[in-house]
Amino acid sequence: MTETSCKLDRRSFVGIALRVAGAAGIGGLAAALAVRRGQSGELAWQLDPHKCVSCGNCATYCVLDESAVKCVHSFPMCGYCDLCTGYFQPSPIELKTGAENQLCPTGAIRRQFIEDPYFEYTIDKELCIGCGKCVKGCNAFGNGSLYLQVQHDRCKNCNECAIAVSCPSQAFSRVPAKDAYLLKIRETKA
Amino acid sequence: MPASAKLNPLNFAIGGLILAGIAVGVLVVLMNDPSGDGGNRLPDAFDYSLEEYQKIDPALVKYRQTAEIPLEMQEPRGVAAGIDDKIYVVGKDGLAVFDPQGTEVKTVRLEGETQCVAVAGKDHSVPGRIYLGMKDHIQALDTVDGPAISWESLGEKANLTSLAVAEQDVFAADAGNRIVWRYDASGKLLGRIGGKDEARNIRGFVIPSPYFETAAAPDGLLRVVNPGAHKIEAFTFDGHLELSWGQRGLDVAAFCGCCNPAAMAILPDGRFVTGEKGIPRVKVYDAEGKFECVVVGPDVLAPNFSATTETREDMRLKPVDVAVDSKSRIIVLDPNAGKVRIFEKK
Repeated sequence: MTETSCKLDRRSFVGIALRVAGAAGIGGLAAALAVRRGQSGELAWQLDPHKCVSCGNCATYCVLDESAVKCVHSFPMCGYCDLCTGYFQPSPIELKTGAENQLCPTGAIRRQFIEDPYFEYTIDKELCIGCGKCVKGCNAFGNGSLYLQVQHDRCKNCNECAIAVSCPSQAFSRVPAKDAYLLKIRETKA
Repeated sequence: MPASAKLNPLNFAIGGLILAGIAVGVLVVLMNDPSGDGGNRLPDAFDYSLEEYQKIDPALVKYRQTAEIPLEMQEPRGVAAGIDDKIYVVGKDGLAVFDPQGTEVKTVRLEGETQCVAVAGKDHSVPGRIYLGMKDHIQALDTVDGPAISWESLGEKANLTSLAVAEQDVFAADAGNRIVWRYDASGKLLGRIGGKDEARNIRGFVIPSPYFETAAAPDGLLRVVNPGAHKIEAFTFDGHLELSWGQRGLDVAAFCGCCNPAAMAILPDGRFVTGEKGIPRVKVYDAEGKFECVVVGPDVLAPNFSATTETREDMRLKPVDVAVDSKSRIIVLDPNAGKVRIFEKK
């Protein structure tokens, strides 16, 4: 081997140095992103009940056949009314559980007598399609204790949520998966 | 014509298929509505609207608005009429007093958030005294800008939503404890009215939301709204239930929704003025509770009817409050418009 063939000329040295610096930079960026991801954790889609207008899009725009959005009930806010306007038609024939009196087209709300004159209302998630009709009824006259939430046992957490894109009130956002529900607290209950 | 340019059946079929494919593609793009502009595509059974219930026969409206007072206070909550028909309005940040024509007399800032107000008449032991309902106690003001005397707290659970003043007594409707407290004018607690008592045939007040009204009537009985029962109940000052009236329903003569009326006042001749939430309407009933007429309806109080089904907390309609003066004018606090509306018989 001759001495001249081993010698690193200036051009080669600069080239190698740039490649090393580039590799280090990419490695550093990847490490920084990894650390940041580790800090922020997983994200999940959720809708803010304070922004939701109950437009009904949640029922039909989800990529699932049966939407991942369902109604939930804040019991501390509920008035336990006999005439629950989230359960009954605006002008029910009588305050009985017959389908003709019920507001929910899928019969997804259960009414149970507690004590005179109070009734408890619970959501049958198997039947709820997330249309938000009961949410409107509850808000029109009552305390707003019925509201919609993305159910994370069903949500596929799509990169681009089809409901979020169609939401007219921009109620959807990504939230930390560890706190994936935006629950209503007692607000107007006496 | 060269042979290559000839349209043979195969080329025609291929061209047709391409055109059909393009047409299908365009159709799919047009039918797809990712932005939701086309609505929810749900059947009519999933719609919720109160529009048809908001229409009121104009023949039933027997009052006309004769004045209005724009308010500058935050979150106006309660209205009352006092001696000389002065109008008192309380809100989150203070008390405003207007003369009967609506000219501002005085505005004072108050410590704490005031929820309701009542003003003693000439027959009260301290005429003209202003009683303010805070969340858990009453404050008494002998003059608008005088020092406030705070009465004893009723505890954390208390939520005072309405006050009434009789000759010797002051009553506070407490939505939190679901009773009416009775005081004398010095602030001494004399008793409680309306608690569930089967022996006295009192079912108890049903108060799903914090709108619980009371007023002293000229017949010497205290009237208390039982909103969850859609009734106005009459009690002696000792707490005996004498009578009640009212029925639920969306019909104009009834009280709508889960719990109404949300506001009540009593005219000098003993007739009742009620204000409802949900479908905002102010109505008059005679002294026995028979519907007489409408003062103002949703066309004025909720001109954008869709607001009645709004689910966003900050956009929802706030219930009106009502008061009456010695000339039987009906004073309506419209918190959504930020004004007081004054109505007189047509």
